[in-house]
This record gives sequence, structure tokens and C-alpha cells, in this order.
Amino acid sequence: MKNKQINTVFTVVLLFFAVFIVVPVFVMVKNALTAAGGFSFINFYNVFTQGKLASAFWNSTKVSFISAIITTILAFILAYTESFTNIPVGLKKTLRTLAVFPMLLPTITYGFAIIYSFGKSGLLTKLLGHQLFDFYGFKGLIFCYVIYTLPISFTLLRNTMQYIDKRYIIVCKVMGDNNLKCFFTAVFQPLLSTIAVSIIQSFFLSFTDFGIPASIGGRYVVVAELLYNTMLGSLPDFHQGAVIAIVMLLPSVISILLLNYLQKFNVRYNKISRTDFSKNYARDIIWTLLSVIIIICMLSIFVVVFVAPFVSEWQYNMSFTLKNVKSVFADPALMRVFRNSLVVSFLTAFFGTGFVYISALAAARSKIHPTGTKIIESMAQVSNTLPGMVLGIAFLLTFRKTPIHNTIIILVCCNMVHFFATPFLMMKGTLDKMNDSWETTALLLGDNWIKTVFRIITPNAISTLLEIFIYLFINGMVTVSAVVFLAGARTMVITTKIQELQHFAKFNEIFILSILILITNLIMKTIKGVFNKSK
Amino acid sequence: MLELKNIVKSFGNTKILDDISISIQKSEIVSILGASGSGKTTLLNLILGIYTPDSGSITFDGNDITNTAMQERGFNIVFQDYALFPNLNAYKNITYGLRNFTDRSTKEEVDSLIELLDLKEHLDKKIDMLSGGQKQRVALARTMVMKPKILLLDEPLSALDGVIKESIKEKIVTIAKDFKLTTIIVTHDPEEALTISDKVLIINKGKIEQFATPENIINEPASEFVEGFILQQLKIKKDNIYKLFKTGK
Repeated sequence: MKNKQINTVFTVVLLFFAVFIVVPVFVMVKNALTAAGGFSFINFYNVFTQGKLASAFWNSTKVSFISAIITTILAFILAYTESFTNIPVGLKKTLRTLAVFPMLLPTITYGFAIIYSFGKSGLLTKLLGHQLFDFYGFKGLIFCYVIYTLPISFTLLRNTMQYIDKRYIIVCKVMGDNNLKCFFTAVFQPLLSTIAVSIIQSFFLSFTDFGIPASIGGRYVVVAELLYNTMLGSLPDFHQGAVIAIVMLLPSVISILLLNYLQKFNVRYNKISRTDFSKNYARDIIWTLLSVIIIICMLSIFVVVFVAPFVSEWQYNMSFTLKNVKSVFADPALMRVFRNSLVVSFLTAFFGTGFVYISALAAARSKIHPTGTKIIESMAQVSNTLPGMVLGIAFLLTFRKTPIHNTIIILVCCNMVHFFATPFLMMKGTLDKMNDSWETTALLLGDNWIKTVFRIITPNAISTLLEIFIYLFINGMVTVSAVVFLAGARTMVITTKIQELQHFAKFNEIFILSILILITNLIMKTIKGVFNKSK
Repeated sequence: MLELKNIVKSFGNTKILDDISISIQKSEIVSILGASGSGKTTLLNLILGIYTPDSGSITFDGNDITNTAMQERGFNIVFQDYALFPNLNAYKNITYGLRNFTDRSTKEEVDSLIELLDLKEHLDKKIDMLSGGQKQRVALARTMVMKPKILLLDEPLSALDGVIKESIKEKIVTIAKDFKLTTIIVTHDPEEALTISDKVLIINKGKIEQFATPENIINEPASEFVEGFILQQLKIKKDNIYKLFKTGK
């Protein structure tokens, strides 16, 4: 009985992976390797000799790497301020909240925010009296990538810092080391592997992001932009697109392999350590100042998003108006896009949470199929390795002649694969921590497996389930890289609409849609907060 | 009567249990005593039905149950960490089995169990509000509601301290005797095993060293292991306590 139920779960999960990961990747590779009806490397040859791929690849690598280094340094400052100073708890909380704020907006908004902040008539340019830098291309990309990856890098570093045994510092000082030496021994060294993880993760995210180069890339061509133009530009070439997608896969495969390797060096501390730090106002003030400057720089570019749409005529007539908001709400096409986004995000969150849950249940709480468990875990790895754009292209190539093409379903399935890994690991962690003997006990008390799942496992996993639901919902709202290839005229979501609106310079609409995303995400966050408080 | 005949169990290339044969009479309290890695938990799991033996047989009241599924054997267990369900309060944990077998125990029987185990004022509490001893008693009650044919207890006292240990010990004996229930207890503590049981099964490296009454074990240790390891521990303890009371005078 139990085995039959678990077998069903395994079958469903593995089938889903087969259809939505294995087949699409296979089709993509096949597309890259066929030309004129036969097997050939000619596409690879053409892309590398004729196109701009080599220079785009080099550009992407350079700009992503520099961003990753800058991000990690800045994130380190923020995380250190939060974890190793005596500043008030409220201030720490504010810092935490603001540091991850950009996550609530799609990356495609960042670029437009920068244009309206640093452009010739940009908000910050006006305020400062001169244009700070030429933001189209290299510098603008770095600026945006840093803002994009800072929240993730901060979260990574902060989490490890929470678990570093703070008593090391005391031991170190008691042993007579000076402050600098103590910092290196007790803080920096235990963090080394996380710092490396942060750099690799930021690099990977920047390399594969589409939203930022789409909005601001301009003269500096990166792989993501090249890939988009090859697939959906004026002369679409699916074979060459597939080749570029495979090339984009390369750094992500290397990143994931490195991350797995680094995992071994991650010191596992099992409990959060809290200690009072010695009184040191100078330390607290300096770190706080640095953090405040970083936060202000990061958030200042978003100010324009909340100003521009509410003035009569940007730059000329700055009087307050709601006419732009009203016109967006009166535009049925834009409202449909908003509705689509909500529907896609909700369905992604709903089915995604269910799918993650049954996968994790099968993997973590049944020992009957060790191989099946391994497959699910490696699929999580693969889904983590596949950049959104690559996934989107693989889906496009695989499903463009099937009935699910141009439907909401394909967007939801794509998101479910794209955002599988993180929630899966969250869920598996929760399930692994639960008592091993629950199922046996419940079975002896007369339950079958499904009953136990509903009566015991699920109620005890409810807060993780909610967290996953909201994670998926928010990602569904802000994602653009995969869905840009899959959203049709009727299934357009906000982010893909923004990508389209930029060609008509409709910045008011872009900003108002971005604000709608933000408000929706804030509502979801609030729901989570309320729920956690009530527990 | 529960009878194990020539039980052998290996995991991979490691033989965990080697040729175990014992028989346990109805309403006997039997402790399985051994160090960690001795095979005692594996033996418990074989009786419970989580594993099946590689060879040998298990019979209960004349029926061969070697390959009977765990939930059909009618035995029940209290795990070392109790495995209580934290989303349910104490009472709902105790009566969990009645959701599937509505007439296994009557309301009166449940109430008298609650009475016997002193759980009355804790029924509405969440599991994480209970102390170790209270959790143990809730787990015991939850199992007893199912009226198991054999009660298995995995290290029932190891997570408890001092005085609570003695009172739980007493409860276990009371329950076993009141319900005439065959009770099998796994433990690594010789004092526990010898003070609670009618018979003690001492196993070492997967083999039986001795299976006898506590008196027998004390007076006629069957092997060097029993003598040198089990009894020695008790003697040191006894001497220390004895010394303490002597100097105290």
C-alpha cells in the first residue's frame, strides 16, 4: 500500500522531469548539432567565426566577474555590520530589509531606473548638477549587476556569519592577538568558502541575466543579449541560438561544479551563536556609515521609479498627477498583462509548491527507491544549472509545435523547473529534520502513508510550504529570462511587456507596472510576516 | 509466547545478528541489554517487523510471523525520542490510533490509562510544552490505547534524569503487570535492565552472551563478557554508593 503510493509519487515526479528537463535539453542540443538535415558542427563553426559570440563571451565574463567582486565586498560590509557590531536591533532589522529590497523588482526595471536617474535629464543628474557617468554599456551593467546580486550575496554571507562561533573572537583576544589578526583568524578565515561561493554565485547570476542587458546593454554586447537577438531578432536562427545557449550553459556548469566542490569546505555549525561584542563606538559608527552609504547608493536609483510616473511631464512640469496611473488602469491591454502575471505567479506558486513538496517527500522520507531519490536530487542540480534563458530556449524549441505553445501552462511549467532547486532544498531540509519514526509510529497506529502525510507531515511543514509558495510567487512576478521566449501575445506577463514597452519609450507604463509588481510582492511578504507572527 | 529461532541478519557484509534463538513468555518483561553496535536495536526492529531476517523464523502464539508486515503483527513500540506528533496536543496524540480503529479502546479505558499515567492536567498541552517524563508517558499511553500484543520500548529511560527515571520505571512495570503485557525493552544500562525485567538478554557483537533472570546473571555470569563488563559496572556503582553511605555516617 505504502509502496504503491510512493511509487505513484516517484512516477509523477520523474515523468515531469523527463518531459520538462530531459527532453527540452536534448532537443536543444539536437538543434545545435543539426544543419541541412544532418548531424554537423557547422552551427558551432559559424557562430564562432562569423558572429560576435567570442567578443560577447569575453564581455560577459569580464563584466560579470568585476561585478561579482564588487558585490561580494559590499555585501561583506553590510553583513559584517549586521552580524558583528553592537548597533541597535531595530537598525539591524532595517538593514536586513533594505539590503534585499531589489529582489522585489524585476531586473529589467533596474536598467530603466538608471536611465531615468543618470541620464542627461535624469533625477540624480539634476540633483547633483552633472551626469555622473556614461551608464550605457560597461559601467551601467556593472552598476545594475551589483544591485541585482547584492541581496543574494548579503544573504549568503550573513547566514554564515550567524553561525560563526563568536567566541573565537574572545579566545583570539584573550590569546593576545591584535584586532586585525583577530579579524582574519576569527571572521575572515571561517568565511573564505562562503566568500568564494558568493563570488561564483554572483558571477553566474550576472552572466545569465537577461533583464539588465535588455534595458541598458547598448553598445556593450553580452551573451544574454546576443542570444535574445539571435532567437527573436529580425533574422531568427534557432540553430545558432541553440549553440549560443549551450555556450551560455558552459560557465553555469563550471559554477555549479565549483559550488559543489566548495560545499565540502563549508564548516557546518549547527547552532546560531550569540555573544555580546565588546563596546566599541568607533567600530560601530564606521561600519554603520559604510553600510548606510551602500544602501543609499543602491536604493537611490529606484527613487525615480516612484517619482517619474506621478509628475505631469518629466523634467518640464513636475507637478503631481495621477493621470498616468489612471491611464494604465484604464488600458485593457496593460491590465490583462497584470492579470496574466498574477495568474502565472499564483499557478507557479501553487503547483510549484505541490511539486516541490511531493518531490522532497519522495526524496527525504522514503527509503524504497535510492536511485529515484538520486535522480530527483540530480534533477534539482540540473535545474539549478540551467540559466533561465537556456531553459526558455529549450522550451521554445521543444514545445513550439505543441498545443501548450503560447499558453499559460507552458509559462507555469517553465517557472516550476526554473525555480525548483532552492525550494526543493528548503523543503528537503525541513523534512530531514523531522523525526524519523513518525511514519512507523503512525503506521502502527493504523495510518496509511497518505494519511500520515496529510495528518502529520504537512501540518509540521506548513511554514516552509508557505515560504516556498511566496518564494515561487515573487519569482514568478519578477522573472523575465525564460518567459521572454515563451510569452505569446495573449499570455504576455508584466516583465515581458516591459521588454516590449521600452521600444516605445513608454517609461511611465514601465514604472507603474514595476510598482504593481512591487506592491504585489510586498503584500505576499506581509502575509508571510503575519502568518509567522501568529505561530 | 514469542519465539525467535536461529535469527541471522546482515547489512551488506556486516553480520549484525548471528544465530539468535530465544523464547519469551506471555506477560514477561524482557530487557535486551548490549552496548551500542551490539545488534540490540536491530533485534528490536526484527521483532517489530521493520526488517525481515535473512534466515531463521519468528513465531508468535504458534503462528509464523517472520514475513508478516509490521502493521499486521499487532505489536507496538515507543521510540527512544518518543516520535510524538508536535502539531497535535497530548490528548490527540494519545487517541491518534482511534481515528483509524474507532473501537479499539473505549472512552473509559482511555480515561483510566490517562489516570494511571498521571496525564490528566497535561492533555491540552502542546508537545513541546511537556517535560521528558511527560512525553514518555504520553507516548506510552498512545501505544497502550492500541492494546498491543507485545509492547516494545526502545531505550525508554535514557533521555530522562534521576528521579523521573525511577518513576517511569515503576509505571512501565505497573502497566506490564496490570495488562499482562509482554514487554520488551532495549537498553544499554545494566542497572536499568536488571532492576526492571523478569529476564535479561545480554547480547554482544550480534551473539547471545546470556539469557536469564537478573538473579541468575548476578550469581552465575555465563561468560567473561557478562562478568567483566556487565557485572563489573554494577559493582563499581554499588561500591561507590556503599562508600558514600558509610562515610556519611
